Amino acid sequence: MAARSYSRLRSLGASLRLAVLSFLADPQWLIPSMIAPVIFGLVSYMLFQGTSPTLVLYAILGAGMMSMWGQTLYGSGWATGQDRNLGTLEPTLSAPTPYLYVVLGRVIWNTVSGLLGGAIVFAVVGIAYGRPLPLANPLEFVLLFIFVILSLAAVGIVFSAAYVYTRYAGFIQNIGEFAFYVGTGCMFPIVLLPFWSNPVSLLFPPTWALDALRILAIPGYHGLAWGFWGDLIGAVATTVAYLAIAGTVFSRVEKHVLEVGNLSDW
Amino acid sequence: MTTALRPSFWRTFWVNAVFAPRMSLGFMRLDFVLGTIFIIPLTQMVFFAFVAQLAQNPLSSVGFVVVGNAVATVTYSSVFSVCQTTDNEKQMGTMEHLLVSPANRLALYFGRGVVPILVSLATVSVALGYAVVLFHVPFALSSIPGLAVSIVLTAFAMVGFGLLLGGVALYLRTSIVLGNIFLFIGLLLSGTNFPLSELPPALQAIGDVLPLTWGIAAIRGAMGGEPLGSLLVLWGLVALCAAMSFGLAIGLWATFERRALATGSIARF
Repeated sequence: MAARSYSRLRSLGASLRLAVLSFLADPQWLIPSMIAPVIFGLVSYMLFQGTSPTLVLYAILGAGMMSMWGQTLYGSGWATGQDRNLGTLEPTLSAPTPYLYVVLGRVIWNTVSGLLGGAIVFAVVGIAYGRPLPLANPLEFVLLFIFVILSLAAVGIVFSAAYVYTRYAGFIQNIGEFAFYVGTGCMFPIVLLPFWSNPVSLLFPPTWALDALRILAIPGYHGLAWGFWGDLIGAVATTVAYLAIAGTVFSRVEKHVLEVGNLSDW
Repeated sequence: MTTALRPSFWRTFWVNAVFAPRMSLGFMRLDFVLGTIFIIPLTQMVFFAFVAQLAQNPLSSVGFVVVGNAVATVTYSSVFSVCQTTDNEKQMGTMEHLLVSPANRLALYFGRGVVPILVSLATVSVALGYAVVLFHVPFALSSIPGLAVSIVLTAFAMVGFGLLLGGVALYLRTSIVLGNIFLFIGLLLSGTNFPLSELPPALQAIGDVLPLTWGIAAIRGAMGGEPLGSLLVLWGLVALCAAMSFGLAIGLWATFERRALATGSIARF
């Protein structure tokens, strides 16, 4: 049993190390996933300029969230896609270590680099603002910011597992990008959306986490009815649910693929 | 004998028009094309409409933002997709064959623009349809001819710009960074979401050389029922951007091609 967990940890470590090395060898992929959020952040800042001073925080929070989404979800979603593209999915799946541990190593690095991307976007929009940001609780804000990226990573792992079954991973990621931004209310509160869409928004952990972030950061912000702690509980609960779904989906996918052996037919 | 072996201009043009979407252009699979035409414009317009609604900025009404984004979504099919043609040729190892082929270069590059121009026309038309039907942007039927001219010119100019970036990408390791920059830069510098006059002068100057800026101005002008005289000026500027983009694209490709043949190294990915 001990040897088994050691082997899994070793696989996780190797996967993480390889992800870091690949990033260092070709870090330019960080740029594409930052360009859009920086521009969206600046555009929103221009739109919010001259209105309420706290609205700049919407621009910063939203842009930071978009960058993390770009890094984490795209990266995690691509965690299986890259194996498929390089032809290493089948050998990796037939290895003794569960595939989840291989993907997890990549997801951990994507999470770290996502945080870096989020911080860079935060800095760029903050510099454009040119004044100290009116953040109400900076320390709690940073901690919650880190949690948001973990919640995004949880969504990413679920996508990553589901992408084994589909050849439309890239399509879903590209086409669904703005829909996700709208649905999770990353640049505006979801109360602006039609009421019927709110339950769908609440299925995603970042919706809860972002509302909590705004309550924490924006003075006078009135978020969802259940308040900060309700948001936090919701964010943790949905993140745990996503992780549980990801684990289940991964083991089923792995079992199914090994039984049917038709992975190449996608 | 040499003449007999050289494929005709139109054959090269059509072969490229038909094959490029399947081979070298990025994101030209049917599902992506349908998503680009029907889904991306809608979601992008909804996103910025809500941001504008929250901001309540008098200079950027929801209608202003929605029309700007409807036009800006053309960048996916015209610039992002087209500029990847160089990358894909390099990646698939076909660039060397292309460079030694006797095919007419004008036909080769212009042929690649045919399908993106059609997709761009469809994207802007559908997006403007969303603007009118879903966001109630005022629109008079009498403005259709002016709008049609503006949309066609914008699609040509944007695809020309995509080919120009593809030419630049010939010299780069990858076009993905360049493609991403110009995919979104128009949202900031082309008057998509707020008037250009809100930007610092240096950024306004950059915006002035982007074809999207004049395309958006022409389409907004046509929808707003501006007189023909003002529209002619805007059309002239869009056409000028298109001519300069296509001209510079051909010039760049020729320059890098000569360099590639001389050094034998540029075609490597």
